[in-house]
Amino acid sequence: MVTKTEETQLNRLENQVDNGGGGAWEYLCLVKKLKVRRPDKVLRHGLSILNDPKKRSALGPDVWTLYEQVSIAAMDCQCLDVAKDCIKVLQKQFPESKRVGRLEGILLEAKGLWAEAEKAYSSLLEDNPLDPVLHKRRVAIAKAQGNFPTAIEWLNKYLETFMADHDAWRELAEIYVSLQMYKQAAFCYEELILSQPTVPLYHLAYADVLYTLGGVENILLAKKYYASAIDLTGGKNTKALFGICLCSSAIAQLTKGRNKEDKESPELQSLAAAALEKDYKQRAPAKLLLLTSALKSLKTS
Amino acid sequence: MGELKYELSQNAYIKLVLHARKHKTAAVNGVLLGRVSPQNDAVVEIADSVPLFHSHLGLLPNLEISLIMIEEHYSAQGLGIVGYFHANERFDDLELDSIAKNIGNHICRYFPQCAVLLLDNKKLEALPKGKDRSPVMQVSAVFVCIELSNYGVSVSFLAIKRFWL
Repeated sequence: MVTKTEETQLNRLENQVDNGGGGAWEYLCLVKKLKVRRPDKVLRHGLSILNDPKKRSALGPDVWTLYEQVSIAAMDCQCLDVAKDCIKVLQKQFPESKRVGRLEGILLEAKGLWAEAEKAYSSLLEDNPLDPVLHKRRVAIAKAQGNFPTAIEWLNKYLETFMADHDAWRELAEIYVSLQMYKQAAFCYEELILSQPTVPLYHLAYADVLYTLGGVENILLAKKYYASAIDLTGGKNTKALFGICLCSSAIAQLTKGRNKEDKESPELQSLAAAALEKDYKQRAPAKLLLLTSALKSLKTS
Repeated sequence: MGELKYELSQNAYIKLVLHARKHKTAAVNGVLLGRVSPQNDAVVEIADSVPLFHSHLGLLPNLEISLIMIEEHYSAQGLGIVGYFHANERFDDLELDSIAKNIGNHICRYFPQCAVLLLDNKKLEALPKGKDRSPVMQVSAVFVCIELSNYGVSVSFLAIKRFWL
């Protein structure tokens, strides 16, 4: 998960390096730190450093992490020869290394040799049963083969041991959403909110899943979580504002026949609508008319 | 059931291909805008496409808002939602998943001649390299070749079977 400032910094560096302005090593370090997926850029700029002996020696011991980073990027871009060469260099430098063994497993994955990769990881896991990366690679194999039940099973087992791995919870939630298993996805987001209650992303995602589940109670709860997402982001999150409007409209529709005993405060919806209009006026004035008519149709539907 | 012909405009085709190529590691989707041809009832002109998402395709709130706004915008031009396009996350996955089917069914309720396009990832990958001019998609699990007006490609046409029946 990357913040906006980090993303702008990354894009700025990327533009700079792409246009020949130097700073390739800083860019590669930032990509590694933020764990973003930019394989083509990493491959290009990484290779430009590795193929130049002067730049290589300037890195010192960091050159090996660069080899690792470039080999993974190469596999992501399906440039398996480049990956193999990088791994060979690492093997010569670190024979019997588990980390290099992991890379070899990933190479087998990239070639589509799932059974061999699975075997490689199992044997590596025998020596280090608590290596999270190996567990996650096994989940990745299952997911890549489209075998979602196995992927879910492995991921759940992994999370029993590594309960604090937020990325794994998010991945599990996303798999559940893609399979339309919304209740289970909601559980994952609940775990995430419990452990990191001030991250608005989880509140937003949880509200989205609740809304998708449907039913008056879920939508009422979704509205509360959209509101908390707005609270946590200082009113700037457009998705949450839209979410409030959608929830209010859905609740009105679902409780049409019933008594209005617990009529939700209509101020929240009008406040959200006003905030949206203000935002659009600032950032996308051409679409303001579209927004107002959409909001109107939500109110009347 | 009869034979239905879909004319996909270059604009719509380019947008959906570009959207899929931008997000190579994710499933993407979007809607197709168009109308029944005023000259011929059995032809649906797909004039434009709007890319929708590249993450969390199965979540409802974003979809609802997008569809409301898209409909509002294009109804001014006399176009409505006539279809849906989808590209799967995995390279060799040529099956339409339940999310795509649900959205397709929903659109079909409002526009019975709705088309669901599933992009062929293999052809998508080969696009910048080869001279292959065949379209990178199949329609609703039955191979349909679409006449791409303005694109200079016309391929023989097969009848479309509605996959949800």
